[in-house]
Amino acid sequence: MDTFILIGITGIGLGALYFLVASGLSLIYGLMGVLNFAHGSFLTVGAFVGYWIATKLGPETSMVDFIIAMIVGGLAAGLFALLIEQLLITRLYDRHIDQALVTVGVSLVVGAVLAGWFGNDLIMFPAPMWFLTAINVGGAMIPADRVVYIATAVLLLIGNWALLKYTRIGLIIRAGVENRNMVNALGINVRRAFSTVFFLGGFAAGVGGVLVSVYSNGVSPLIAGSYLIYGFIVVVIGGMGSVPGSFLAAMMIGVIRQFANYYVTGLGDFVVVILLAGVLLIRPQGLLGKVRA
Amino acid sequence: MSALTVKDLHVKINESHILHGVTFEVPTNKVTALLGRNGVGKSTTLRTIMGFYEGTGSVELNGKQILGMQTHKIVQSGVAFVPEDREVFASLTVKENLSLAARGKNNDAAYKAVYDLFPELDSRAAQQAGSLSGGQQQMVAIARALLNKNEILLVDEPTKGLAPKLVTEVADVLAKVAQSTTMLLVEQNLALVKRVAQHVIVMDQGRVMYQGGPENLHDESWVHQMLGVSGGHK
Amino acid sequence: MLRWKYSRPLLGLLLLVLAIAPMFSANPLGKPGMQQTLAVAFVWGALALTYDLLFGFTGLLSFGHALYFATGVYVSCILINHNVVSWWLAAIIAIAVSAVLAALVGAASLRTTGITFAMVTLAFGEAGHVIVNRNFFNLTGGENGIALNADNIPQFWIGVVNTKYIYWLALAALIFTYAVIWWVTESSAGRVFSALRDNEQRVQVLGLNTQHFKLLAFVISAALAAMLGFVMLIAAGSAAPRFAESGVTIALLLMVVIGGPVTRWGAVLGGIFYSFASTRMQDLTQQESFKSIPKWIGGPIAEPALLLGLIFIFIVMFSPGGLSGAYYRLRLKALSRKSS
Repeated sequence: MDTFILIGITGIGLGALYFLVASGLSLIYGLMGVLNFAHGSFLTVGAFVGYWIATKLGPETSMVDFIIAMIVGGLAAGLFALLIEQLLITRLYDRHIDQALVTVGVSLVVGAVLAGWFGNDLIMFPAPMWFLTAINVGGAMIPADRVVYIATAVLLLIGNWALLKYTRIGLIIRAGVENRNMVNALGINVRRAFSTVFFLGGFAAGVGGVLVSVYSNGVSPLIAGSYLIYGFIVVVIGGMGSVPGSFLAAMMIGVIRQFANYYVTGLGDFVVVILLAGVLLIRPQGLLGKVRA
Repeated sequence: MSALTVKDLHVKINESHILHGVTFEVPTNKVTALLGRNGVGKSTTLRTIMGFYEGTGSVELNGKQILGMQTHKIVQSGVAFVPEDREVFASLTVKENLSLAARGKNNDAAYKAVYDLFPELDSRAAQQAGSLSGGQQQMVAIARALLNKNEILLVDEPTKGLAPKLVTEVADVLAKVAQSTTMLLVEQNLALVKRVAQHVIVMDQGRVMYQGGPENLHDESWVHQMLGVSGGHK
Repeated sequence: MLRWKYSRPLLGLLLLVLAIAPMFSANPLGKPGMQQTLAVAFVWGALALTYDLLFGFTGLLSFGHALYFATGVYVSCILINHNVVSWWLAAIIAIAVSAVLAALVGAASLRTTGITFAMVTLAFGEAGHVIVNRNFFNLTGGENGIALNADNIPQFWIGVVNTKYIYWLALAALIFTYAVIWWVTESSAGRVFSALRDNEQRVQVLGLNTQHFKLLAFVISAALAAMLGFVMLIAAGSAAPRFAESGVTIALLLMVVIGGPVTRWGAVLGGIFYSFASTRMQDLTQQESFKSIPKWIGGPIAEPALLLGLIFIFIVMFSPGGLSGAYYRLRLKALSRKSS
């Protein structure tokens, strides 16, 4: 039973990481129609900046230090995302395939620059000692870092929900995901919402990057790739443009992957991928997505 | 000066030449009906004025050239749009649909006026717009357009697909609104047009065939010749 | 008219040079190192062309093309190593397996379009990557791949001194691929592919079953990719999981976009250029003069992805037709100046 709980919570923890990547991807695609392959770069930028902050804040990383590292990493990634959006994406307005291609280019360039500066090997991330302790949940000993991932993801989900429900920009984003042209037809410049969505997506990915570095035992430009793929899988299964959908799908996928891997090593990736193919063929709009006109 | 002056408007969509030099004027504070058979370019004309399509020629709103401007800027200049098929945001509540549309700071008077016209929108404020009936959605679509100060209201087939009783309700609302606004109304329902329109434009094959008063609408043979239908729908 | 009248003869001359030069050791093409580099570049050029059939000609943005390439590599390798059939039969079986796989995957995924199609193909491609990486059925060698058993392939492909035979195999494969794709795209089926890219609805209105044509393009490109997988196996001497990565398909996308999606020679050029540049850049970074550049500049420059990524971004933003598109634009300008 406690193995079951351990695998389950680890799966949810992993799902939390996927959600941090997927939430931004989902809104960016839902609102702007841009398939953002550079999202992995946002994760990596956040990871490296967070790493740098953590090392600068002293040899021992306290929880406060770590939280600062997460936030600064997130902000750096968010600003970088905003830069990409302003410099490249806006110039390719409504050329969706070209926008997706340009983000592929960005991911290559960022990967190359970071690999050139830091190499591809894992650099140990100085995580707080508390992460290594185990918490007793129903008889299972859960590593503390999983709790941090889940808490962060839940915070993000709540923050996202509050933004969308209670602010004007949130209203514009929700309407824009549904019908971009009509928002313009109400006299609202929907493109300003684009920048917001890119920044927030970058921020979430950056925070995710710091957490991923802890989970993967180190920072490296190579890690983002698989998280980006999983991010896309989560977004598609959850439904493009639906952040709650991404949350649901991310949790599902994290748990499924961990359980599958427990019974047969390596089966997890395979099962998830087949699940994706299945969902796409049966219900292309995903769990909570809308059928795009 | 007319509220809206359109001169020699040519519009191509995906290599199809839809509008061939459309020219007309919309007089201020009157309802102008834009009539014609299906597919002659009435909706395209409205949507081009809104900036959804590119075209050559001239479109002036109270003397200001708006052809070529971005849609949201055109709307901010005072053009309000009630689209064909309503296009309310299904996942937003009624209140959210309205507040999205309200651009100014002090909207209380505007909201009050809208709720006077459509009391149901007040009682259904928290309801998801997607669950509203067609007629109620039409009310939202019209209410949205009335929340700001407008120079002109573009209304595209507001009674399309509505049951006869609702058609009458919408007609009542439009008649009331028309008293204080300039309106360009695309509409197939001739009874409604006869009731509210003070000026008529007839289009055919992307061109304006007639511009003038609504007198001829009562002439059955004229109506049949111009529009290919018999006049006076129920 | 748009084609320069000397381009075909010059191309023929170039092919002749490429074919004959390795026979003499005195020129650059006589060196095994260059022969190996070019052999790999030829394979990538041809592979880019097969991807161009999908993306540039038929408008199908697939993110799982590597699957069929890797199928060619691995099936050939496994059959040859276990001495099941002779090497050339192994290649043919690999091609057939890939074609059948493509038919199945295509039948399922072509029911979707656009971004959804891209995601489905990505999923299947990743599934293939996972299968080879995790050593399912203990056949695929896991992360390290499988080394090709040199006893079971002809002698003339073994040994550094015989690199030129690998070179000629790759060159022949490139020419063959080009010929097949030229034939397909010039045929009436080919015209349907282009029409599909531009406007699928119009093709359907003509009463043509668009599914069948898309599937045809899909299977043809997969079969050719598998053949090239066999060639890569001979050139690389082993089957490795990196042939199944999504990065391969992304690289092909880059090659096609840089070279120019709509022309055939553009894709080949893009592929050869990309492969050649990657390999040569690795060598460049080993030079002494390079080592003196400060690390924060030199580090990134050493990564081929930097230069290629920047070129790619530039082309997407400012010159979407790629290199071949730019060439034809200049040619058009030159021609119109001549006639005016």
